[in-house]
Amino acid sequence: QVEPQATVADIKNLFSKSHPQWYPARQSLRLDPKGRSLKDEDVLQSLPVGTTATLYFRDLGAQISWVTVFLTEYAGPLLIYLLFYFRVPFLYGPRYDFTASRHRVVHLACCCHSFHYVKRLLETLFVHRFSHGTMPLRNIFKNCTYYWGFAAWMAYYINHPLYTPPGECHLSLSPVPVTVIVTVTVTCHCHCPHYINHPLYTPTGSKARKIPYPTRNPFTWLFLLVSCPNYTYEVGSWIGFTIMTQCLPVALFSLVGFVQMAIWAQGKHRSYLREFRDYPPLRSPIVPFLL
Amino acid sequence: MAAAGSGGSRADNGYGGQQPRRRKGPGALATGYLVIYNVVMTAGWLVIAVGLVRAYLAKGSYHSLYYSIEKPLKFFQTGALLEILHCALGIVPSSVVLTAFQVMSRVFLTWAVTHSVKEVQSEDSVLLFVVAWTITEIIRYSFYTFSLLNHLPYLIKWARYTLFIVLYPMGVSGELLTIYAALPFVRQSGLYSISLPNKYNFSFDYYTFLILVMISYIPIFPQLYFHMLHQRRKVLSHTEEHKKSE
Repeated sequence: QVEPQATVADIKNLFSKSHPQWYPARQSLRLDPKGRSLKDEDVLQSLPVGTTATLYFRDLGAQISWVTVFLTEYAGPLLIYLLFYFRVPFLYGPRYDFTASRHRVVHLACCCHSFHYVKRLLETLFVHRFSHGTMPLRNIFKNCTYYWGFAAWMAYYINHPLYTPPGECHLSLSPVPVTVIVTVTVTCHCHCPHYINHPLYTPTGSKARKIPYPTRNPFTWLFLLVSCPNYTYEVGSWIGFTIMTQCLPVALFSLVGFVQMAIWAQGKHRSYLREFRDYPPLRSPIVPFLL
Repeated sequence: MAAAGSGGSRADNGYGGQQPRRRKGPGALATGYLVIYNVVMTAGWLVIAVGLVRAYLAKGSYHSLYYSIEKPLKFFQTGALLEILHCALGIVPSSVVLTAFQVMSRVFLTWAVTHSVKEVQSEDSVLLFVVAWTITEIIRYSFYTFSLLNHLPYLIKWARYTLFIVLYPMGVSGELLTIYAALPFVRQSGLYSISLPNKYNFSFDYYTFLILVMISYIPIFPQLYFHMLHQRRKVLSHTEEHKKSE
């Protein structure tokens, strides 16, 4: 028994009172068993129902908030990399415990990597706005395994006593100073696109969406060519990191990340094209003119 | 992994012919191609079977029979990679990931273990898995051929869903014993391994990798085995009902 002005969220709250094991985030209500889920802010009145409505319930499984997942999956690599950087016991042989690498690039790599994840943590806390509050619980295990696993794998080789820095082997690309400059620049890319991207939602907090456009900030100019410049910059910085460290696991991590981000970017691009009639035709999802 | 399991996930996907689901099957051209593919594979594995029998009769013992069927085994087992493509193209209603996993594990054993570590080729464990694979594949490919032609003899269906009970453990045992036999030779020769320092800043120990592969059989084998048992109960009892209702 609810008012016509009640929203789906209210219904979910009422439902969870009578069925406490299904808290609202876990509920998926829909008008048709095979249809799409109703959004929390949908008002009952605006839905195609009469005086009585039949809603179909589906249990989405245990949920966990996005913020928790993001914080965990980013804090892990930050700490794990530092464990390897400081050569904590049991990682390398006992004679290397707590020693430091003699290569400048290893220290720089640690700074870049740590800065990257600190930035991501801060973004999660202060910048990101998510369309759903939660995700299935299984995701935290999947995501953490991916991030933490790769971080450990990369950190192990970069901070290894037998690490070979670029420039020392005559077959490697570019001398150290240039690669360092490239990487530091790209890694320090401003996530201004994020500020534009996520405030797709108007400042009043309503969830209306607008096309992001470049502003006076030079970092947002990539919006002219690309729908998801944040992903483009991300891939760019990991490629820079790969060149800087010349470590195969880093290259593999960049590749896997690129594939995943390309898939997300294409999905986003397609949803932009569906949503906005006047979407700029020059833009491609992630790589200008190519992908 | 023995292919007895590899049929598992596909068993309930349109090939059984008795499933009530109305799926849009492959077009006529794709069906024609698939029939040819499955017939060729059935023939290929029959060649391997005949080769084994002839070699056994000629030699008088069952040791070191691998050498007589080495080439057709490599050819037809590697040819199974096409099945991944079939799933990717959608002409076969199976999961790409599952099929890829199963085919790759076979190809891995054929090339990265048996071919690469020559010293194990004379082991009896090789015969164990080759026989298991041969019988399984002959039945499996003929099953698919008949299903595509919508004329599946009950015997083939029964064989496919029953013989795995013995063949699957047999194949797995052969595989594990072969990998185990290969270990000391891999350690000795440093096969496929790279150690630090090197310019890629990467290391890989094939010996450890093989041990991890062996360990991975422990969670994976029971799952696939019980899945097939479950499929068996479903498919064979369904046929019973179907027959009763006629």
